[in-house]
Amino acid sequence: MALNPTEPKWSLRLPADCSIAAIRNVYELIREAFGRQERLEIDCSSVDKADVTSIQLLLSTAKTGQAQGRPVVLTSFSQSLRNTLRRAGFTSEAMIDQHFPQKKDGV
Amino acid sequence: MSAMDPTEIFRQEASELFEVLEGALLDLGQRPDDRELVDSAFRALHTIKGSGAMFGFDKVAAFTHEFETAFDRVRKGEIKPTQELISVALAAKDYIRALIEDPQSTDDIIGEAILDDLKRFVFPDQAAAPVAEIVVAPPLAPVESKQAGWHLYLEFESHILRNGSNPLDLLDDLCKLGPCFVVPVTDGIPFLDEMEPEDCYLKWDVKLHAACDKDAIDDVFMFVSDEMKLTLSPLEHVEALPPAPLFQLLDEELTPMVAAPAPVEAAAPPVAEHPVAKAEPKSEPRPEPKLEAKRDDRGIATVRVQAERLDELMDRVGELVIAQARLTQLASSGSDLSIKMIAEEIERLASSLRDTTMGARMVPIGSLFGRFRRLIHDLSRDLSKPVEFVTTGEDTELDKTMIECLADPLVHLIRNAIDHGIEDTASRSANGKTEQGRIELAAVHSGAQVLVTVKDNGGGLNTARIRAKAEEQGLIAAGAVLTDHEIHQFLFHPGFSTAQTISALSGRGVGMDVVKRTIENMRGSIDLSTRPGQGTTVTLRLPLTLAIIEGLLIRVGEGRYIIPLSAVEECIELTAEDERSRGRNFLNVRGNLVPFLRLREIMSASGAPDRHQKTIIISTGDTHVGLVADQIIGNHQTVIKSLSKLHSDVTMFSGATILGDGTAALILDVAQLVALAQSKVEKQHISEAA
Repeated sequence: MALNPTEPKWSLRLPADCSIAAIRNVYELIREAFGRQERLEIDCSSVDKADVTSIQLLLSTAKTGQAQGRPVVLTSFSQSLRNTLRRAGFTSEAMIDQHFPQKKDGV
Repeated sequence: MSAMDPTEIFRQEASELFEVLEGALLDLGQRPDDRELVDSAFRALHTIKGSGAMFGFDKVAAFTHEFETAFDRVRKGEIKPTQELISVALAAKDYIRALIEDPQSTDDIIGEAILDDLKRFVFPDQAAAPVAEIVVAPPLAPVESKQAGWHLYLEFESHILRNGSNPLDLLDDLCKLGPCFVVPVTDGIPFLDEMEPEDCYLKWDVKLHAACDKDAIDDVFMFVSDEMKLTLSPLEHVEALPPAPLFQLLDEELTPMVAAPAPVEAAAPPVAEHPVAKAEPKSEPRPEPKLEAKRDDRGIATVRVQAERLDELMDRVGELVIAQARLTQLASSGSDLSIKMIAEEIERLASSLRDTTMGARMVPIGSLFGRFRRLIHDLSRDLSKPVEFVTTGEDTELDKTMIECLADPLVHLIRNAIDHGIEDTASRSANGKTEQGRIELAAVHSGAQVLVTVKDNGGGLNTARIRAKAEEQGLIAAGAVLTDHEIHQFLFHPGFSTAQTISALSGRGVGMDVVKRTIENMRGSIDLSTRPGQGTTVTLRLPLTLAIIEGLLIRVGEGRYIIPLSAVEECIELTAEDERSRGRNFLNVRGNLVPFLRLREIMSASGAPDRHQKTIIISTGDTHVGLVADQIIGNHQTVIKSLSKLHSDVTMFSGATILGDGTAALILDVAQLVALAQSKVEKQHISEAA
């Protein structure tokens, strides 16, 4: 759940559990990373459990990055996270792109 | 510990809801303009319907739906809740209860007849109108436009996720009603530093393209309705569905992303903001500590416990009290100071535990009073005697066992009060009384007792007729000198009735004797007072509990006995002068003559009596009697044990208890002893007269 040393130093991989049960830890992790890096890339590929709190945290991270002029990018949405986004009404790719600044795989 | 059957839980909850519903309906009869009552009845109906459907009681859900739909006109203020409508609504409530508790006893025809009646009152001009049609708000648009669905705006309270509620599940349920277009509203999302990650900030704007009725939507949000704001308005035209709506995509495999990568800097454009949200001053959805605290309190305020577990707990406490008494006795017979201290500490703790346990068994008597409102409503209607029912002291608490035992006696008393006590309207008018009679049911604490009174403002008891009937039945000699109070006691004689006609309600002479026996079995007493033309008051005096009482331990010969302390007025020494009055058996207590009983004679005690005999003055109601014993040992926490069936015919004792040394002591039945003393006095009068 810590910063991944094998990734570029500004990358953060989210843990498997990003549901309300673990969201406070994820929140602290993101805040900690935010305090350390100028740029932040959040890898969402391992997220296995997601709910409303996960979506809200990602939206808030994006909003904060934008307000502070600090680049935040989300990568590799897991299937579980995508399903949760769709259930919450983020039904199309355009909509997801609109709300979550993404870097597509391999780009 | 076994988990309760969910169906049983539903039945229990439904039972409580029926009480709420019935109470609200009956109150509505008195206060037809009280909106809170209408809402209360509607909430109860709605919960019964929703829970019924959830637990598989489909007939209940269907019938309640129709009932609810019809009652909706009352809620909207379109019709007044008349007495006739209330009566039909009560019948509908009874039918739903039967559907839940004893479905075999119900018949669809009865249900349909009730619904027809309901419709007749709800749609006086169009009795045949289908009830379901009124539930959906009439289209606001011109005639050619057609309602195509609903526009919903969902805003949840911030703490809702912590409760375990999941808005996404609710959205899923909503989508099952028909094609849904869900748009998340993200304007409430705060910056990271201001965020409470477990709070709910997302809101949703939903267009539901289905002509379902409003109830179906309400049902989706039934369990979170108090924790959310739901704005609902009809969609008037079928709108083009957006591409890839949620309902179609839920189960689809996701397609790979094809859009160009979004540059990091090109973060999300301004998020969608709902017009409603825009119109309101922007406020950050910070956590609401006050609300949290309230919710937490509510979570732990009450715990549902099976009644039999409380009984078991009381039994254990009883055993503990007995063991503690033995320990105290053992400690007092030795000289070890530390054991004495421990014994005192355990005595203190046992006493505290006893009080706490008894407190947990206490139930407000209002739960019982509520049942009689329906009884009076129905009797009043059947007998065409308008009756006002007034209750006071509903918060007075009594042991739950006492409450259960009290129901039947009170039914008898109330029936009698309406059938025999309250006069018909013509007689009342002729006597200058209001046409509406009045029955008051009250409860109040009086020391270690609770007084429950049933008071009517009817014609009062006809003492002459009671006397004549008693003479006719050979209960008294013609012309015998009796006080009014003594004559009224014949009403409690088995088979005694002055009613000239037997009705379905009363008149067979069965009832008052049962009432008296039941009350006395509860170690209580019953008093009657009446004023001709002004009414009758029946007072039941009841102990607070049936499980553990404070008693006075006495010795008679070699035996030890307990007198309930609540009945003890005072203790005095039997003087030589009183001794000399042997044969007359009266004490002079501050100028009043009080009959007394020598317990040594009654108990056939062996051995010589103590030199200084003691007299314990006991009372029931206004009657005082002295009991002469050898020794007064002192107060005793008495755990009441029932006597075996072999001793059921021994009326002098109401139970037994175990003393600290392990021996048993019998508990004297105060009512029986007082009755015995009175009969001895009467015999004495008769023999002196002879």
